[in-house]
This record gives sequence, C-alpha cells and structure tokens, in this order.
Amino acid sequence: MSERKDEKYAIYVENLIKVYSGGLKALDGVSLEVNEGEIHAVVGPNGAGKTTLMRILTTQIQPTSGHARVLGYDVRSESGAVRKLISYVPQEFSVWTDITGYENLLFYSKIYGIPSDKRHSIISDALELMGLSEASGRLVRTYSGGMIRRLEIAAALMVKPRVIFLDEPTIGLDPRAREVVWEKLLEYQKEYRVTVLFNTHYMDEAERYAEKVTFLNRGRVIAQGTPQELVRLLGGETLKVWIEGESERASQILSSIDGIQVLSATSNQLVILTPDSSVMLPKIVQALSKSGIEVRSTTVSRPTLEDVFIKLTGMSIEEAEKASGLREVRAVRRAIRAGG
Amino acid sequence: MSLKSYWEQTVAFVELELRRLWHDPTEVFTRAVQPILWLTVFGTTMERLRSIPTANVDYLTFISPGVVLQSSSFIALAYGIMLVWERESGILKKLVSSPVDRFIIVLGRSLAGAVRAVTQLFIVLPVALLFGAKLKIDPLSLTFATLALLIGSVGFTSLSIILAVFMKTRERFMGILQAIVMPLFFTSNALYPIEIMPAPLQAFAKVNPMTYIISSLRDTLIYGDIVSAINGLLVTLVFSSIVLLLATRYLQKIVE
Repeated sequence: MSERKDEKYAIYVENLIKVYSGGLKALDGVSLEVNEGEIHAVVGPNGAGKTTLMRILTTQIQPTSGHARVLGYDVRSESGAVRKLISYVPQEFSVWTDITGYENLLFYSKIYGIPSDKRHSIISDALELMGLSEASGRLVRTYSGGMIRRLEIAAALMVKPRVIFLDEPTIGLDPRAREVVWEKLLEYQKEYRVTVLFNTHYMDEAERYAEKVTFLNRGRVIAQGTPQELVRLLGGETLKVWIEGESERASQILSSIDGIQVLSATSNQLVILTPDSSVMLPKIVQALSKSGIEVRSTTVSRPTLEDVFIKLTGMSIEEAEKASGLREVRAVRRAIRAGG
Repeated sequence: MSLKSYWEQTVAFVELELRRLWHDPTEVFTRAVQPILWLTVFGTTMERLRSIPTANVDYLTFISPGVVLQSSSFIALAYGIMLVWERESGILKKLVSSPVDRFIIVLGRSLAGAVRAVTQLFIVLPVALLFGAKLKIDPLSLTFATLALLIGSVGFTSLSIILAVFMKTRERFMGILQAIVMPLFFTSNALYPIEIMPAPLQAFAKVNPMTYIISSLRDTLIYGDIVSAINGLLVTLVFSSIVLLLATRYLQKIVE
C-alpha cells in the first residue's frame, strides 16, 4: 500500500476551521505541513489563531471542520495515540509553584509512565540539560521566569516526545533568558531530531531558530516557507531612513519614486524596500531634502521577516494587534477559555 | 493502558497533594479552627442545656463526627478553587494533552482533595477527646472512619470540580461555597437527630449525602457498630461515584 500523503508528515493540517460557540472564527481554513525533525514557527499577532491551532493539534479542543494529523494519527478520532507521542508547553505557567522543581518532574514522570528504576536518572539528566540541577530542590516559587520556562521545557523533553509543541516559549522573558531557553532547546533538538512546532510573535526568534515559518493572520495562513524563501519574496534590500519628523509627508513624497516601497513610517523612521539601494538612496535623499525634510542617517540591510509580514499585511505585528484591537484579542482569549 | 498504570497515575496525584501539604500545611490547621470552636464552645454549652435528645450519648460526643465532616467537606468543596486557578494557568491544558485518561485526572484530583480533607479527622478527633467526647478509638474503627470520610470527600471534591466549571472567579467560588456547605451542614444529622426536624427538612436531610457520611462515622466512632456503618458507607459510595462520573464529563468544559 502506498504511503498516504498525510502520514508522511509529523504534522499535517488541511483546511482547518474553528468557530467558537460565540460565533468567533479563530481559524479560517488553515493548512500546514511539518516534516519530521523540523523546527517550524507559526508567527502572527495576538488573536491570529496560533493558540487555537496548537490546542487543536494537542487534542485539547476539536476543530469545527477540516482535519489534522500528528505523526499520522487523527487528532480527533485518535487523540489518545497522539497524546502518547507529543509534549506541550502552554503559554501560561504549567508547573506547581508550591513544590520543588524536582517534585514537578517526578509527578510528570509518573503521569507519563516512566519506569520507576529510570525516573531518577531521566529527571536528573533533564534538569542538568536545562541548567537547573542546583535549583532542583528549591520551591518553584523562588525561580525566575526563565528558570520556570526551562523547568517546563525539561518536563516536556524528559518524556522523549516525537513532536513538541511550544506556545510562545519565551514570552515575557528578558533577551538573555530567551537566548538560554533556545540554546538548551536546540541542544536537545539536535541530539534527538524531535519535531518542534512553536508559536511566537517575536519575528527575530522565528528567523533565527525556525527552519520553516508559517505566517498566520486573522485565522488564515498568509505565507509559508523557509525564512530565506520568505525574505526572497520581497527581493532587494531594506533601507532605514531616519528623518527630522513629518514621516507621513515624507512617505507621500517617496511614493512618487518608481521602484521603491515604503513599508512603514513611524515618527522619525521610514522603512523602505528597494531593489538596489546604491541607485535609489541618492534619489530618496534628494527628494526629501528638496521638500525640506532633513535626512539624519540611513542604514541598508537585507529584509527581515518583519518586513515580509509588513509587505503582506500592510502593517507590522504590533500594528496588526492594535488594528484588530485589544477587544478582539480579549474576545478570542475568552472564546478559547469558554470553549465551543 | 494497564490497570497498573491507571493506579500509578492516580497515586501520583495523591502523592503530589501530600508533597504540597508537606511544604505548606497551613490550611490543615487554619481550617480546624472553626470545628474546634463548634466542639469547645457550641458543643460544651449545648451539653449543659441538655435540650437536644441524643439518646444515650452526651451532646459533645454526638456532634463530634458531624463537626469532623463539616471541616473536611469544606476543604473538599473548596478544592475546586485550585482548578479555577489551574484553568487560568496552563496546568490543566498540559494535563489534558498528556496521556492521562480524563477520568483519572478527575479521580486523581478528587482523591488528592479527599486526602487533604481527611487530615481534619486527625486534628478534630483529638480535640474532641480532650474535651471529654467518648469516642471509640481503635485501629478498626479509625480505619473505617477514615475510609468513610475519604469516600465522602471524593464526592465533595468532585462536586467542587463541577462548581469550578461554572464559577469563573475565586470570589464567586468562595461565595457559592458558603452557600452550599452551611445549608448542607444544618440540614443533616450533624447537630441534631433527623427525627426532631420539621417534616420538609427531614425529607431534605434524607437526600443530603452528609447525613449518610455522618451516620457512618457515628456508628463507627460512637457505637463501634461497623455493620450498621456499612449502610451509610454504601450510600456515600453511590453518591461519590455519581458525582465523580459527572465531574469527568464536565472536565472537558473546564478545559475548553
């Protein structure tokens, strides 16, 4: 029998729709394929549907229509088989803070059926990998945010899952703590080639750590590919121009120049997409100074995923969040909690 | 999944609770204050009045089992607050995406809450004895009383899990908790024999699960009559099993 297409992938999602009981459409026809051993990022603003997608894939809630498989098992009809093969780190804290780090892992090791003669060594290894050996005997409430996150990841990795789901794994952490979390995670991923699907709204994180990226906005996939492929969608270079105020007017002036596109204009900075900065930069500076707008400095860089997102949606992630409004984000969160 | 692994997972929840109690046993003692007042103030005062017919036992002895249960049931019914918190955090989400069967999550948590609740037996009973209650404390009656209280508390913890589905905040939960525990307590046979209650209340007392748990505790701890105590225990077992199954159905709602 030939292998079915949806069994070839670690994660296979086809035309997934989720409408919560309040009528809120969190996913609107999402399709996604993740190869085994791949690190895949789902990127998008709050309220884009990232958490809903992950909760369906981890068998917590059911989709309204469409289908999703994890390692060939249907998340709806074979949820028990899926749960044995995956690990999940939710966005919110998922360890008990009134017991020690070791005790938390001990509990999860029993829940996942790790044999009693192996428990101690497996827990110790996981704690060591995450740099928590010394703190393991302390109550978790004395841990920093980064340490708690590492403990949660230790709990997730300890059970040797084939697919690990991380929902905003570094949200709320400082840059150094974020880096440590990823460093440890990658160390493990390299050794065991586990498939990783993570949600994030940090573009830099997706760009640095993901082999493939899916952009999600308002419940729809707007682009998919390796970070390089996505960046290539834009072509050319990104030019950042710092000016003395009046960015709106500056943006209008530049719109008359052929071949360039203003991606964003904040109070004193313009982000411009250009096929060749060496040709376009003098034209830009000239056009602006002719209108009395002084250019203070410029930098040229290759486009980032952030620039791609702006090009595709017409706004940055922060702007997309503002546009959809806090109210909508809250409505999504409420709907996620209330279920449906 | 084998029966052995179901058992191990259930025990893991109980062990988790014991570890939490070990690190912070405050609740065990603060919750014991109220029942101790019932015994030492209310019990000893009413004892002097001799206005409530308690057959051949003194009043303090008569109310001791009920007061133990009042304290235990409060802890058990308050256990759902933890679930309100765990729903806000990611703990429940993580648990339901793990290989544990959802029934085991409810059974494990209910047993864990029940273990916490049963601690009251070992605090309130010594106080009752100290104030002169005449209780039969031998290994058999103590084991049976613990079992009856444990099974009853599993039911109340499960009930609490169901409450957690509807009470989205701690404040609301605490409010409803008071509105449940005290009426159940007053409409049971905890403080007076059912026979002296008005007819409508008697009818209610007969469907109140507390009545049967208290009967069982009273038969064991006061009269040493294990055979009679089994009747109460069986009713308690039916109550707890039904609520446990209902809670399993509702767990999905909490998660979503």
